Amino acid sequence: MTDVQDKAVAATPVGQSSAGVAATLFRFQSVFGLIAVFIAAIIFSPRKNGDILFISADNLANVVRAVSEIGIIAVGMTFVILIGGIDLSVGAVLGLAAVGSAVLMVENDWGFLPSVVLVLLIGLVFGALQGIATAMIGIQSFIVTLAGLQIARGLARIWSGGQGVAIAYGDGPNEAPTSFALLGERTFGGLVPIPVLIFAVVAIAAVVFLRISAFSRHLYAVGGNEKAARLSGVPVVRVKIAVFAICGLLASLAGIVHAVQLNQGSPNDGIGYELDAIAAVVIGGTSLAGGRGSVAGTVAGALLLGVLNNILALNNIDSNIQLLIKGLVIVAAAALQRLRPTS
Amino acid sequence: MRSVKIPVAAAAVAALVLAGCGTTSDKTSGASPGASKSCKGADGKYTIGMSQANVAEPYRQRMDDDIKTAAKDVPQFDVKFADAAQDNAKQVADVENYITQQIDLLIISPNEAKPLTAVVKKAYDKGIPVIVLDRKVEGDAYTGFIGGDNVQIGREAGKYIAEKLLPSGGNVVELKGLAGATPQAERHEGFVEGIKGNPKVKVIAGASGDWLREKGQAQMDALLKANPKIDVVFSHNDPMAEGAYLAAKAVGREKEMKFTGIDALPIPSGGIKAVEQGRLAATFTYPTNGKEAIAAAKKILVDCGTIEKTQTLPTQTIDASNAAKVYAEENPNG
Repeated sequence: MTDVQDKAVAATPVGQSSAGVAATLFRFQSVFGLIAVFIAAIIFSPRKNGDILFISADNLANVVRAVSEIGIIAVGMTFVILIGGIDLSVGAVLGLAAVGSAVLMVENDWGFLPSVVLVLLIGLVFGALQGIATAMIGIQSFIVTLAGLQIARGLARIWSGGQGVAIAYGDGPNEAPTSFALLGERTFGGLVPIPVLIFAVVAIAAVVFLRISAFSRHLYAVGGNEKAARLSGVPVVRVKIAVFAICGLLASLAGIVHAVQLNQGSPNDGIGYELDAIAAVVIGGTSLAGGRGSVAGTVAGALLLGVLNNILALNNIDSNIQLLIKGLVIVAAAALQRLRPTS
Repeated sequence: MRSVKIPVAAAAVAALVLAGCGTTSDKTSGASPGASKSCKGADGKYTIGMSQANVAEPYRQRMDDDIKTAAKDVPQFDVKFADAAQDNAKQVADVENYITQQIDLLIISPNEAKPLTAVVKKAYDKGIPVIVLDRKVEGDAYTGFIGGDNVQIGREAGKYIAEKLLPSGGNVVELKGLAGATPQAERHEGFVEGIKGNPKVKVIAGASGDWLREKGQAQMDALLKANPKIDVVFSHNDPMAEGAYLAAKAVGREKEMKFTGIDALPIPSGGIKAVEQGRLAATFTYPTNGKEAIAAAKKILVDCGTIEKTQTLPTQTIDASNAAKVYAEENPNG
């Protein structure tokens, strides 16, 4: 019990005072990584008429906007990985949610709120069912969510008739309510896109939630040592179901954001997004073995990937080399994890 | 590796095949906001951003290569390439990055129309001339569209099968592209029209091979079992036709039937070589438009001119009679 709690506390931001300087450095590796990549991006940024293109307001807005979907998914993924699981279905759930929003609003003429609520519910239930399959039947989450990926993709294709559903806005039939379009708009001086605000709210809510709730301790306990957690009275099954439900809900939210940004819900949306989300979590310093990591790290990890993508693209680095560089960054982040001292 | 193909020869053959169906155009885009602003004439230096939907398909890789090759002949041009890897969201970001870089002209082959429309309009509204290749975007916020006519290509293939391969009739199976994809629907529509002239030609079965060689092979396995007599396999692209050939060969029936494809890429693994080597009876070119895109860019940026709003390129029938010749023309340096 004490062992589990120590581990849990050390991993939460609250337990920081007991950690050494080295441990702190490792804990915030993704933040330092982000700062380093950001500085490098400024240095290597192309310039035009004396302006550093990378730090132009428009470009930075583009970077965070491009990151927001993966970021939202990655927050949910952090929870799942913290309990030692994995969720491979998030990209497909994003596709299902994007299709769902488009079909409900455009083809079924549903209002904004009922559509969004139903789509979020679908994600929540889908995630919860995956949680039940892992926690109660005892199938590994890798397998459950691999199946979930196929099922969600299949459902998305059936629901959309195999084709992208275009979203037009207006009050007429076969048009989505204009209130939905607002989700993709820009705000705050026309600069910060709403998807970025949604990502920020999700991330802050997750950080606060992990700090104040008892659920947080359960989460780290299950990830640290499931057997010990069970013996010490942690409701392991309930925690697992809740975690997968949250992950499904957030993937679904990302799908809604995706649909509004692209004016379309396509059943093939989000292919490979699960891998980007996992990469963000790993770069963020969360251990794939579970029990250690933080949402803040994941947010920094997602932003790091976004800045990296942006600066490589701004310099027109060949797309094959881009893949190579991103792969090396992920390996480097994982390698740093191995060096990290255990508290 | 390859310089510009001989336009005269290509046009001549195309004219023979098409009998009058050549380049068509709607209205010219005199009011393009980009054209006047970006043109600094022959003394200028221009950065062109090319946003490709994906380079996993050989057709799209060839499009990039054709652009690269054609741009080498225009010393003022520096062309950048981005690969969206079939992800609409990534392609939107790619175009936004080009806007940030303040490129002088955008060439884009969109992954899908609807999701890319807004960002293409954004570039166009900022005064960047936009040339859209192969797949369209919605609305008219672009400088020019250059593409092939899939209905026309399907029609040519249908006519060829009805008149040349099966003049006295026979059984045809159709291997279709990815369900829901526009080219798939258009090629099918044209094909059905094309074979109408010969009522003795019967389409006895159809299956979707998703544009993929291995899927085409698997579908053909099943079609061969279900249909004892197949005379022609009409495939919506060359890779699926090759897959079908392999399936027939595996059961020793490849000599009983003829195979046709579409795309006719002038690359070693492409359809023209397959015709030359006798696996396919014919294939029909679906132009990559890379060379034409650079010509249009030159017109806008260097010559300060305007381009046609829509430029539809003709198809060409490749069979045993011209395969070797066309391949050599397309790859003059070997």
